[in-house]
Amino acid sequence: MNPVLELRGITVPGQPRPRLEGIDLTIRQGERVALLGASGAGKSTLLAVANGLLPAQQGEVLWEGSPPARSRRGRRLQQARIGTLWQDLRLVEELSVQQNLNAARLAVWGWPKALLNLLLPLETDACRQAMATMDLEPHLLERPVSALSGGQRQRVAMARLLRQDPVLLLADEPLASLDPRLAAELLALLLRQAAPPRALLLSLHRPDLLEGFDRAIGLRQGRLVFDGPIAAVHRALLTDLYEGNPPCS
Amino acid sequence: MTFRIRATAALVGLSLALLPALAPAGGPLPSLLSEAKAQQNTKVLRIGAIPDQKPELLNRLYPLVANELSRQLGVKVTYVPVVNYAAAVTAFRTGGLDLVWFGSLTGVQARLQKPGAQVIAQRDIDASFQSVFIANTSSGLRPISNVKGLSELKGKRFTFASESSTSGRLMPQYYLNQAGVKLSDFAGGAPGFTGSHDTAIALVQSGAYQAGAVSEEVWRSSLSEGKANRAKVIQIWKTPGYPNYHWLAQPDLDKRFGKGFTARMKTAILSWRPTNPRQKEVLALFGAQRFIPANAAAYSSIEQVGRQIGKIR
Amino acid sequence: MQLRAAPPLLVLLPALVLLPLALLLPGLSHGGGWELIGQFASAALTPSLEPVVLRSVAAGLLVTVAMALLGWAVSLVLGLLLGVASSRTVWTSLTGSALPATGIRRLLAVPRSIHELIWGLLLLQLMGLQPAVAVLAIVIPYAALVARVISDLLDALPTTNVEALRAGGAPAPAALLTALGPALLPGVLSYGGYRLECALRSATLLGVFGLGGLGTELKLTMQSLAFHELWTGLWLLLAVMLSLEAGLGGLRRRWLMPVRFGLQQPSVGLRAREMVLVLLALLPLSLLLGQALGVQPQALFTWQPLPPLQNDWPSVLAMPWPALVGGTLALTLLAACLAVGLAPLLLLLAAPSRWLRAPLRLVWALGRLWPPPLTALLLLLVLQPGVVTGALALGFHNLGVLGRLLLESAADASPATEQALACAGSGPRLALLYGRLSVVARPYLAYAAYRSDVMLRESVVVSLVGATGLGSQLLESLSAFAWDQLLALVVVYALLTLVGEDLSDRWRARLLASG
Repeated sequence: MNPVLELRGITVPGQPRPRLEGIDLTIRQGERVALLGASGAGKSTLLAVANGLLPAQQGEVLWEGSPPARSRRGRRLQQARIGTLWQDLRLVEELSVQQNLNAARLAVWGWPKALLNLLLPLETDACRQAMATMDLEPHLLERPVSALSGGQRQRVAMARLLRQDPVLLLADEPLASLDPRLAAELLALLLRQAAPPRALLLSLHRPDLLEGFDRAIGLRQGRLVFDGPIAAVHRALLTDLYEGNPPCS
Repeated sequence: MTFRIRATAALVGLSLALLPALAPAGGPLPSLLSEAKAQQNTKVLRIGAIPDQKPELLNRLYPLVANELSRQLGVKVTYVPVVNYAAAVTAFRTGGLDLVWFGSLTGVQARLQKPGAQVIAQRDIDASFQSVFIANTSSGLRPISNVKGLSELKGKRFTFASESSTSGRLMPQYYLNQAGVKLSDFAGGAPGFTGSHDTAIALVQSGAYQAGAVSEEVWRSSLSEGKANRAKVIQIWKTPGYPNYHWLAQPDLDKRFGKGFTARMKTAILSWRPTNPRQKEVLALFGAQRFIPANAAAYSSIEQVGRQIGKIR
Repeated sequence: MQLRAAPPLLVLLPALVLLPLALLLPGLSHGGGWELIGQFASAALTPSLEPVVLRSVAAGLLVTVAMALLGWAVSLVLGLLLGVASSRTVWTSLTGSALPATGIRRLLAVPRSIHELIWGLLLLQLMGLQPAVAVLAIVIPYAALVARVISDLLDALPTTNVEALRAGGAPAPAALLTALGPALLPGVLSYGGYRLECALRSATLLGVFGLGGLGTELKLTMQSLAFHELWTGLWLLLAVMLSLEAGLGGLRRRWLMPVRFGLQQPSVGLRAREMVLVLLALLPLSLLLGQALGVQPQALFTWQPLPPLQNDWPSVLAMPWPALVGGTLALTLLAACLAVGLAPLLLLLAAPSRWLRAPLRLVWALGRLWPPPLTALLLLLVLQPGVVTGALALGFHNLGVLGRLLLESAADASPATEQALACAGSGPRLALLYGRLSVVARPYLAYAAYRSDVMLRESVVVSLVGATGLGSQLLESLSAFAWDQLLALVVVYALLTLVGEDLSDRWRARLLASG
């Protein structure tokens, strides 16, 4: 399987210690990877480097085997292949659901289509399909996001990710603020979408939800301290990662 | 914390309060200030003029006039600048100015609004004043032989000198009417008003306007000083003569400054001669050899034209 | 599927007016004065530094600042009193009936509907050339504007606190002051600061029309095409305006005041004592300034008799009213579209590049700074007079005001969504459009509605470019001392702005309600 993301010797400076230090990591097509670590261990920083929000100053990022393109357009197309599910979702409240789903296509659309979408939402069929995948009623497409319930927003954010059609799904503690039932549902959805060739990298503070992942990596104080199959994750490792207090068992 | 807040507030307050203290240090006090001070003292004769030429020139000329008058009459005389013709008329009506150098239109307006105002004097050249129509050489306009030729100006970008100028608006518009040219016939549907004769000449020369109308006197001095370039701007027609500028005085000067003051003032102005070095300078800046008595009745023709054009109602 | 423009598109739609404008402009331009425009532009880098010029510019600036401060301070105090007097809540608590409040509100609409320039020109006729005229010209409309905002703020506050205090036996005035005073303070200070910026612009503008100060200097140097001297004044004014804006912005942040067109209720400021101290410092300052300016309060009561009012009403009726009103409306509409639509468009164009953003800010600052009549005079060097030229001048000025507001509110909005879109590969401009302009669109448009109403009032100031509606006729009638015409024109102007104000209020309420 081809690698979708390679981090080589990534160091992100910070105070009092580097936020990331000497990270080497390769994620291949179809892999479902859980990112473990206490808060402040560098999970969010690692994801920010992975999706290009934080350009690497030291070390090298390869997306699908290539370094970040020199041209802005080339780089944008690379970034479009990496989808991020944000903890605060980051939907555009003032726009309709369909306009939000289509916002995932802005990397490939030009100005005319982007502007037209604000007047007359486009590509209804593809949007309906994404909605159906997320078990959302198609009539919600015309609603403004501000009128949706919390659960619906979560699914719309997922549907927007599907419209982006990324090769790598990144998610930063997506389950943190959800009740157990919703969390389980969302995790199942994420795992289901991460079918080959798509890979998943998800930061997780609940090791009890590891089931369904292929591989786990552990961060402590900005360093990669564990990388292996989930079968190898044991209590001692967790205690080490969470510095003595695993948050949940 | 509270100390810091108090200190900041006190500093802000103090620095704001010190601001006006800088005002007197600002050199020559702005017109408004000196004007206000002058109003407090009724023994000051306040003279003014319509701003028909560059303010630099007026600011040089009128302090000289004030000095000379002050010397001859034995009262304090100050010059109060105003920015437009209508403001000069208003200042005269409301008593802000005692003696004003008006054009004939503004003079007539002022006398109508202040009955009893006295025409004091005019220059030797004012009995028969003229306006010229000028054109940019690239406009294709050529000198014309009679008033009908002004119809060539239709569709051109045209500017007057100022809304209430006699030589730069009233009389030119009168002759344009005779040639059948309405103000809406100009390019853009309206003429421009540049504010002064100098500016009108400069803008026609630059090409911003294709043609304009200005006082013949200012046009002539622009040519002789080399400011107007004959290769770029030419005269296309000169109007017949009409009476123009004159000094106008408030009706109540005798009451305020003593019996016979108005007559003394008139005599003083009429007495200026080029043989006196100070008076020579004043006369030269006025572009005149001497001042001559003026007759209010001479301006009745101007009043008629003003009514016809709607500038006098 | 119905066509419905989403908020971020809505803010760009007015910019469509550029298309017809692009077709019209070649026919209107005559290139005659490019040489002069070039001289004007190059003079920007070489302003005159001669001591004489510097002194007269500094003296003029002092007069302008003094006029602005004095007019602002008096209007704020007067506006507060009038605002309380026209508040429904106050009248209901004191007398049980809101009727007097409605009456006072209606009365205050009249001074508000007439631009300070018209007040200035009219007062000049009544009181003669004296410093009090400019100050009073600012005070009259500003006090009415402040009163309206204060009474709106007061009536929007919940009355439960007042009722609770009243039930506890407190007398009505004490209850009102205790319950509403502190809640009102942040709104008053925020709006008051904004009015000070406006007052500086107004004082400059009044000067352009002959009421003294730096405006007069600017007009005279412009008229004699002395561009180097002109730029000395412009740069100095820019420095003063930018430091005033920065200072007020700093105070606004320090005192935790709400953004100007924020949707949230103003929160009670924590620095009440500091605010009161600054306000107290302003009082003696205003008195000093008044004295320095030579404002004599008693002079306000010595009115000159008006020249006789001709009663030539048939000729007043015969004026081309439809053309005059139409011209004014066309001018306002065009200017409003230009200003409202161009601000977000330019922001989008400049957004990705740091190098473009700084010049954009400078151009907007110059737009705010330049009195529109000066811009109009410059435009006349290369364009024919008419509605379009006037609208360009008025639009440029308001673009400066709107652009700054847009920039401020965009900076205040959360960057999260824009960041998310950029991370998903969309370009910086599209990310800004979808992610951030969506958020600020509604409040921006609501402010734009208010601003359009201001532009209608302001259309009189670009009238000197000719053929632009009521304003040009107004100046023409003024120079002919035709009082009957003048009266009719002012009444029509006032009616027009009252209708405009009502429309803009409705549109604003709708925008904010659906947000």
